[in-house]
Amino acid sequence: MRGDQGLPGPVDLSVRVYSTLLAAYPGRFREEYGSQMLQVFRDVCRHEYKQGGLLGVTALWLRTSLDLVRTTVEEHIERGIEMDREKFVKWSGWALMAGAILFAAGLILGNFDSQWEDPIGGVDAFYEISQIAGMGLGQIFFVIGLLGLRSGYADRSGRLGAILLIAAITGGVVSLAGMTVMNTSEFGWAAWMSGLLALTLALAAFGLVTMRRRVFSGWNFAPLLAGVFLPVLLVVGLAIESSGGTLGDWIFVLGTSGTSIGLILLGYRMQADIGTVPAPIA
Amino acid sequence: MSETTPAPESFLPLSPAVFHILLALADDEKHGYAIMQEVDAMTEGKVQMGPGTLYGSIKRMLAASLIEESDDRPDPTLDDERRRYYRQTGLGHKVLNAEAQRMATLMRLARRKNVLAGIG
Repeated sequence: MRGDQGLPGPVDLSVRVYSTLLAAYPGRFREEYGSQMLQVFRDVCRHEYKQGGLLGVTALWLRTSLDLVRTTVEEHIERGIEMDREKFVKWSGWALMAGAILFAAGLILGNFDSQWEDPIGGVDAFYEISQIAGMGLGQIFFVIGLLGLRSGYADRSGRLGAILLIAAITGGVVSLAGMTVMNTSEFGWAAWMSGLLALTLALAAFGLVTMRRRVFSGWNFAPLLAGVFLPVLLVVGLAIESSGGTLGDWIFVLGTSGTSIGLILLGYRMQADIGTVPAPIA
Repeated sequence: MSETTPAPESFLPLSPAVFHILLALADDEKHGYAIMQEVDAMTEGKVQMGPGTLYGSIKRMLAASLIEESDDRPDPTLDDERRRYYRQTGLGHKVLNAEAQRMATLMRLARRKNVLAGIG
């Protein structure tokens, strides 16, 4: 940087040194505010020199050095946290999409096992393993995806939206825990099912919030789509069973597919929205 | 796309830098150096912000919509074209008001407890 014409020597030197030290700030911050900071420093330095001479400039440097060290660290930490959060939201979007596919595959294959009596030749273990692996991994990915959803969108979803996301995450964890003890505890199945129901109901209610507040840049209906199918399926199934009938396989496949499509859309939106998700207000 | 405005109370308590910047911008819009001078004068030199603190706070306040950049120049002939001017937003005004009320409540409490006895 060229020295300013008419500036006293100590001020000119100080401005040059400060201009070099600005390189310590993160690039984006420096580009946005570097020239303004330099201008302010020049003004203050000129004022201090006029008021107190070299002693005034020295005192200014003592203050400025502390300010520089503290705020460069702050800006780097803030940028680091922001980058990590963006990455987490992006990857949790992918986790939600992968979870939706695995969960649907596991649930549909499990349905083959129990109802269609091993259509590919009595390989019962194939269906069971697919079901456990698909649904287990799928539900782990759900929890990761929902954590990312909360991290990225709770701030703009309002208090109700944030509470619903916590309810959905809790439901996901309960359901996952229930699934791991399903074969050894009689409460396992109940925990799995009630957790899944809580997750989907909370997600459907969160969908109403996202549609009202336009939380995402598009497809704000996705959480509602993802959450509404399983509870409806359960109610319809119970109604049919109470009247002596059985739930048709096509309804089951339709419900599971609808849930998966909703989750895939939601996950896609999360990873595509990166860069538009604002940082939490400090 | 409709944006919902956060409640002013959700920003409280304000950091000293944010409070003083909002206070400095309460009368009219100012550029960075003018904000620093105003804060210095208001606090009788007790609060001296460096450029890093000033612009770090301005960055966060812009992101939170507490202040906004202004294109107007109070007196273009007297000023550098490159300076950026900032002014309070409606939300910024409400937040400053809420913070002042919070402080007034604390002061009332301190008076009631006789904490301020012998001061001033």
